[in-house]
Amino acid sequence: MEYAIEISGLTKKFGDFIAVDHLDLKVYKGEIFGLLGPNGAGKTTTIRMLCGLMAPTEGSIKILGYNIPEQRNEAIRKIGYMAQRFSLYEDLTVYENMEFYGKLYGLKESLLRERILKLLDFLELSEFKDRLAGKLSGGMKQRLALGVALIHNPSLLILDEPTAGVDPSLRRAFWNYFRSLNKEGTTILVTTHYMDEAENCDRIGLMSKGKLIAIGSPRELKRKAFGGDVIELKIKGDINSLPLKILETRKENDITIVRAVLNDISKELPNIFNLLDSYNIKLISVEPINISLEEVFIKLLGEIP
Amino acid sequence: MSVFVVVIKELKQFRRDPRSLIMIAMIPLIVMVLFGIGYGGEKGKVNIGIVNLDKEALSWTLIDSIMKVKDLNIKAYGNSIEEGRKLIEDGKVSAVIVIPSGFTYGIIRNSSVQLLVIVDESIPTMSSMIKSSILYVTYKFQEELSLKAQGNFIEIIYNSVYGPTVTNIEAFTPLVMGIVLQLVPTTLISIAICREKEKGTFEQLIMSPISKFDIIFGKFIAFFIATIANMLITLLVAIYVFNVSIKGSIIDAMLISTLFLIGSLGLGMLISVLSRNQLQANQAAIFVFIPALLFSGTFVPIDMLSYFAKIIANLTPMYYFTSAFRDIMIRGASIWDVSWQTLVLTIYVILMLAIALKTLKLRVD
Repeated sequence: MEYAIEISGLTKKFGDFIAVDHLDLKVYKGEIFGLLGPNGAGKTTTIRMLCGLMAPTEGSIKILGYNIPEQRNEAIRKIGYMAQRFSLYEDLTVYENMEFYGKLYGLKESLLRERILKLLDFLELSEFKDRLAGKLSGGMKQRLALGVALIHNPSLLILDEPTAGVDPSLRRAFWNYFRSLNKEGTTILVTTHYMDEAENCDRIGLMSKGKLIAIGSPRELKRKAFGGDVIELKIKGDINSLPLKILETRKENDITIVRAVLNDISKELPNIFNLLDSYNIKLISVEPINISLEEVFIKLLGEIP
Repeated sequence: MSVFVVVIKELKQFRRDPRSLIMIAMIPLIVMVLFGIGYGGEKGKVNIGIVNLDKEALSWTLIDSIMKVKDLNIKAYGNSIEEGRKLIEDGKVSAVIVIPSGFTYGIIRNSSVQLLVIVDESIPTMSSMIKSSILYVTYKFQEELSLKAQGNFIEIIYNSVYGPTVTNIEAFTPLVMGIVLQLVPTTLISIAICREKEKGTFEQLIMSPISKFDIIFGKFIAFFIATIANMLITLLVAIYVFNVSIKGSIIDAMLISTLFLIGSLGLGMLISVLSRNQLQANQAAIFVFIPALLFSGTFVPIDMLSYFAKIIANLTPMYYFTSAFRDIMIRGASIWDVSWQTLVLTIYVILMLAIALKTLKLRVD
């Protein structure tokens, strides 16, 4: 069984509004999969259907080999879930929240205590363990929520916007947590609308208006968006006759800055000097451009009819 | 057992919720004190009329006895039942005692006699007071007579069970118990589930291996433990602050109260399952409370209600509780004597919880 998540034809309608529209998606075991898209793209609805929190209008869902919703009870024991909105008890302490959930998973007292202390340490929450959850800062609340999601050592983590409203340094910390969990074999499905974060994912699915418009690794998506790898050339001379796929040009004094697409950067880049030379163009510098996923997303979205 | 995990968690949250604690402690006190101020203390005199159709010796003895009762004031005399009825209709008196012809003769012949008591039922609190006073009079009258003629008895139509020693606060104690034991538990538990939905905690909760049974009964048991204090506080305040006496067994009174408390919690649980948010739940709890209060049979006797209101009254658990509690407290009945009410309340509890279990969806739609 190589897939952690298999969705096909997943659809959710709220009256006339189609929140999720015939979504097909497969997430491999052991990967970090990012579901990206603007607010209202259908990410949360998709996640809720995956978890059996919402009934799909159509389509089938399989999580870790279990059919949802039929075998939800089995699947749920292996899923760690973090909702978009803080959903723990504000009038219980950090420790009590974790203890409550640990006991619901049937963890034995001594084992549970050990597990909680380990998680608190991992999430740097140890000194706040007796603080009421309602009195925590936003970032600490998110860490607690992650702690609760991890209490039963799940093999699949489903995280809905875990870093929303969290400051950049904590966002980085979160991704460090995710990576170290992933190294231990946890599959992670995470939604976000921070494009920069998505670079950390093994694969990304771009969602828009309930549809998956692109799927692949960050590099694959970038290549897909622009038809290859993007480079930036600084040159002197006339570029109009160049046999290159040019994205944009701009002038700075007598220097022309050109963004172009190469089909295969590793093969074509070494030849670029010769190419330019044969056209009598003076090359000042050339470098591969790391375009942001944001640009990719905007590009891909723009191509949707 | 997950159910106990939920119990402990709910109790912890309870301790940290000042509103709930205030409700548990203060509402019984406030309701009891309000009724105590309104209905405690000295009773006023009630004007009554006499229609003497007998006009023989013992009828005058009876009238003499009536005049001695300090609660009653004979304001008018009539010559026929119609005249007596008119006295009430005109608002001159609240009740008329009709001594039928053959009253004296009947007593002398050692056969049973009747007294017809026409009571203005529009003020039920007053009518019950009149009934009890007349009972007291006839009792005294019989006691005096029985020295001369053993075994006589007088039957009163409107055979009210309340003895003349029942104070108003005692007459209202079943209602007060009913109010406290419905209002507080129902309102408190009505937010139990919808608060989790409103705050978003429900979403995380149902992602854990928890069953509907765990959620409903975990909360139910926790709220039961917390609200049992309501019942005890109300009973203690009634007995020790307002000197209410319970003629039946205190255990029976507590049993029927506990059953009603469980029913109220069941009702509140159902409201919580059906409500979208806390505000809706609170409104629903008050909504179901009002008919229960109005048609509990304490403000207006059930018999005097319209056909439709009678049906509603018979559907409210409050009606069964107040009547059962009144029987135990004032009549000295046992829990077995009120088995019908007990059965109805038990069915009600089971029904509420079954519907709540059936209706609760472990979804966030």
